[in-house]
Amino acid sequence: MPVIVTHSLKGGVGTTFTAAHIAMALSEAGADVTVLTTAKRDTMPLHFGLQPAMTLPSLFAPAEDAVLVAGIDLRSLPSAPEDNDFVPALRDLGFLETGQDKVMVLDVPSAEFAFARRVIPHASASVCVLNAAPDVLALMPQVLDEASPEAIAATSFVINALDETRRLSRHSSAFIRELVGQRLLGRIRLDESVPEAIAMLQPLAKYAPTSAALADAKAVGTALVPALETPGRPWVARGSAPSSSSSRAA
Amino acid sequence: MRIDARNLLDRLGKNDFAYKEFEDRFSELELWPILEALLRDPRLQAIDQAEATVAAMPEAAPAEVVETYSGESLSSLFSRYGNGPAASTPADRRGGGQQQDVRAMLRHLSDLGSQGKI
Repeated sequence: MPVIVTHSLKGGVGTTFTAAHIAMALSEAGADVTVLTTAKRDTMPLHFGLQPAMTLPSLFAPAEDAVLVAGIDLRSLPSAPEDNDFVPALRDLGFLETGQDKVMVLDVPSAEFAFARRVIPHASASVCVLNAAPDVLALMPQVLDEASPEAIAATSFVINALDETRRLSRHSSAFIRELVGQRLLGRIRLDESVPEAIAMLQPLAKYAPTSAALADAKAVGTALVPALETPGRPWVARGSAPSSSSSRAA
Repeated sequence: MRIDARNLLDRLGKNDFAYKEFEDRFSELELWPILEALLRDPRLQAIDQAEATVAAMPEAAPAEVVETYSGESLSSLFSRYGNGPAASTPADRRGGGQQQDVRAMLRHLSDLGSQGKI
C-alpha cells in the first residue's frame, strides 16, 4: 500500500480538506483508498459529508466497524505520532508497497511535524499544503532549516484557498511558485462552497459539483496517481504546476 | 449556485468562470518587506540545495518525471532585483559544486535598499 502523507507548516491551511480530496481523486482513479487521520481534534469526517459527532474507527479496528464513504475507508489513529512502532506496524500490515490495490492517505496535523518527518521517507509522496499568505511564508525558512535535504527534496507542494483577486495573495503565490518550482502540484482556489458544503453536511461534490475548489483539488489528487507506482523513494511533482498565465480567479 | 449563473455557465460550456485573468510574474511583483526578508534568509536556499544534495545520491532521480514547467532556482530570483549576478545555467545552479554567494547577495540587496531602489 503506497502511503501519501499530507502535512503543513501551520494549522488552518486546509490540509485535511486537501487530504480528503486527494483520497477521493485517487479512489476515482481506481485505487482502493484508506484515509488515516492522526489528528486529536479531527475534522476529516466533515469533508465526506458526515455528522460532526462521527468518530472514526481505529486503523486496527475490524472491518465490520469500518466507515466507508464512496468506497473510501476512513480511519483514525491519534496515538500514531507518539507511537515509535507506527511505521513498522504499517509495514507489518502490508502497507508501504506500490500499486493501487491499497492506498493510504495519511493526514498529519501541522504540530506533529516530527511525526511527518519520520513517515515521509517511507511514503510514496509527501504533500505540503500552503496558503499564499505572509504568515505561512514566514515559517518557510525555519521549516526548511529543520528538515533534512532528503525530506525537502521529497516534498511536493499545494497552494490551498488561493484568492487571486487579492494582490498580496497573488504576489505570495508567485513567490511560492518561484520558490518550489516544479514541485508545485497545483493550486486550489478559495471557494465559499467548501465551508458551505460542511455546513450542509454534504460532500463538496454533491453540494457544489461545479465548485472551482473541487475541480482544483481533484486535479491535485489526479496528479498524484503516478506516485502510487513509484518504488523505493517518495515521488515528487515535476512540472504539474500551473503557470501564472493559467491562473484564474474563482 | 443561482440558476441564472448556472444557465450562463451551461451556455458557455464551463464549470466555473474567471472574470479576469491574472498574469503577475515574479519579476513584476512588488518586493513586500516580508518577501525581502525571506530572500535575505539563507535558510530558504535549503530548498534548492536539497535537490542538489539528493541528486548527487546514487538512487537520485524519481521514477516519474514530466518536465513541463520551467522552474527556476531561488538564486535566480535575487538577480531580478537589480544588476546582481544572475545564475548562469540550470546545471550551474543545481550542480551542487557551486556554492551560492549569499553574503554577496545580501550586500547587494542592502546596497539597493540604501539607494532606494528596492
